[in-house]
Amino acid sequence: MLKPRLSLWFTRSYATRIAEKPAARFPDPLLNAPNVAVKTLKDENLTFIHRPPPTAPSPHSTTLAPASPLLKSPTPSNKHAPMPPFLRPSAYNAAPLRMSDKDIEQLRKLRLSNPEKHSRAKLAKLFKCTPNFVSKIAALPRPKRKEFARKMEAEHDTVREQWGEKKATFVAIKQKRREFW
Amino acid sequence: MGHVSKRLYSSASKLAVSTSRLKQFPPKEAILVPDSGKPNFFDPELWAALQPPPTSALTAFAHRIGLANVLSSADVVRRACTHKSFLNLHAKYYPSSPTPPTNANLATLGNSLMGLFASEHLHAAYPHLPTRVLKAAVSAHVGPLTCASVAQEMGAVPLLRWHRQPTTPMSPALLHSDALASIPRAITALVYQEISLQSARKFVQSFFLSRQVDLRSMIRFRDPKRALIETVEKFGRERPKSRLLKETGRYSNSPVFVVGIFSGQDKLGEGFGSSLKMAEYRAAEDSLHRLYLTRTPDHLLQVPSSTFPFKQGNIYKTGLEVPYTPGVLGEAEILYASSGRSNIVAPKRPTLEEIEARREGLDV
Repeated sequence: MLKPRLSLWFTRSYATRIAEKPAARFPDPLLNAPNVAVKTLKDENLTFIHRPPPTAPSPHSTTLAPASPLLKSPTPSNKHAPMPPFLRPSAYNAAPLRMSDKDIEQLRKLRLSNPEKHSRAKLAKLFKCTPNFVSKIAALPRPKRKEFARKMEAEHDTVREQWGEKKATFVAIKQKRREFW
Repeated sequence: MGHVSKRLYSSASKLAVSTSRLKQFPPKEAILVPDSGKPNFFDPELWAALQPPPTSALTAFAHRIGLANVLSSADVVRRACTHKSFLNLHAKYYPSSPTPPTNANLATLGNSLMGLFASEHLHAAYPHLPTRVLKAAVSAHVGPLTCASVAQEMGAVPLLRWHRQPTTPMSPALLHSDALASIPRAITALVYQEISLQSARKFVQSFFLSRQVDLRSMIRFRDPKRALIETVEKFGRERPKSRLLKETGRYSNSPVFVVGIFSGQDKLGEGFGSSLKMAEYRAAEDSLHRLYLTRTPDHLLQVPSSTFPFKQGNIYKTGLEVPYTPGVLGEAEILYASSGRSNIVAPKRPTLEEIEARREGLDV
């Protein structure tokens, strides 16, 4: 009974040709295979066509035809060749410039003098590098590293005790799934 | 028939004791009742374990494995199937009988030979395998569990003579698989002694090195991305970068991502996963698998021990039997998670003062 004032109800003023959505048609992968190996044996009148699936890595690697490009000569770099996109946006940032020796010495001094105050994250921000780089060049001695790890574990344990049963279960499932990577 | 004699007959039949070889069956220990009033303890299983296996079974075993000309007499086979733990048991119950010969020396020699053949074969077959993985592969091919399996497949289980030993402060426990593993090792040593090194290698090749071992599933990494970065640096290539090849269902409950790791223009490896991190992890693993599991084709596979002569005699005599071309040497290993001293905690050695204090303490 209500008359639509605005076109809130989207009504067609034409008839459709087909009642249903047409069935999806996919291109035949056998016709458009990029890596096709065809071998013909004329005397036996046989043709072997090998079309490996596009994303299956080759399990067989021999020294004559190695699957790893590290064992072959590198392909000449071509900046204009189309490449798939990087996995993470940070890969598009330029690599940081090499740190000067003076800065490295200062970083080491700060880190080893007071690792609690001069944490990896703070030093990374100050010297414009990554926290992993700080760990690599200013590694703490082993006893101190163990002490830090123990302290961290204790802090995390207090947090973990406050979790409910469900959260603990989900975290355990995630950890187990990680084992199957 | 009493229950002891019933158990005796059932144990004798189960453990393949040849009653025709015995002077008397049932044995004197089973039926004799001592006059002194001491109770008669007779264990049928123990008695059956002490008896030697029958000659027919030993000869059949030698023929079954195709070494009837090497294991010429049943005594040789009996020696190969007797573990050294049996000596204590035998001396305890038959102190007057001569001690039976055991396979201890043969097993040690055979173990070294099998280790040699397996290491050189695997190193020639997979020249880029790191040491840690090569050791694991050698264990998979000729390790104690594999030797025990092969002994079972050969049918040596009823022929084995041994005695279970529990853990002591000086030695670990002796298990059935350890005792069984000594049999193929002893046979390898016998083939080497009777014929030649080449025949021993052929024996090990046919029984052990031809077994299918899935190395790909055995190789796991603590941090494959880090291992890959160091490996690529060792080869002097561009730093590896991960790129997304294909994806579907990103915001659904079952996404699939296919990630490839590239060094410049070359794709080192690819992997799939339900998360970006998982796919990248698998791609790094795949890159390293492709490198490590590069195999030498069988027609090009040559091992150094093939240069030893076929005939018996001095192995150092001049003149090669087979022309030998050494295989490709793989690139040097990376430090990360290599078979170095990481994770090895050496026991603290006592200082001079402590040694002297101990000595003084003993004197006082």
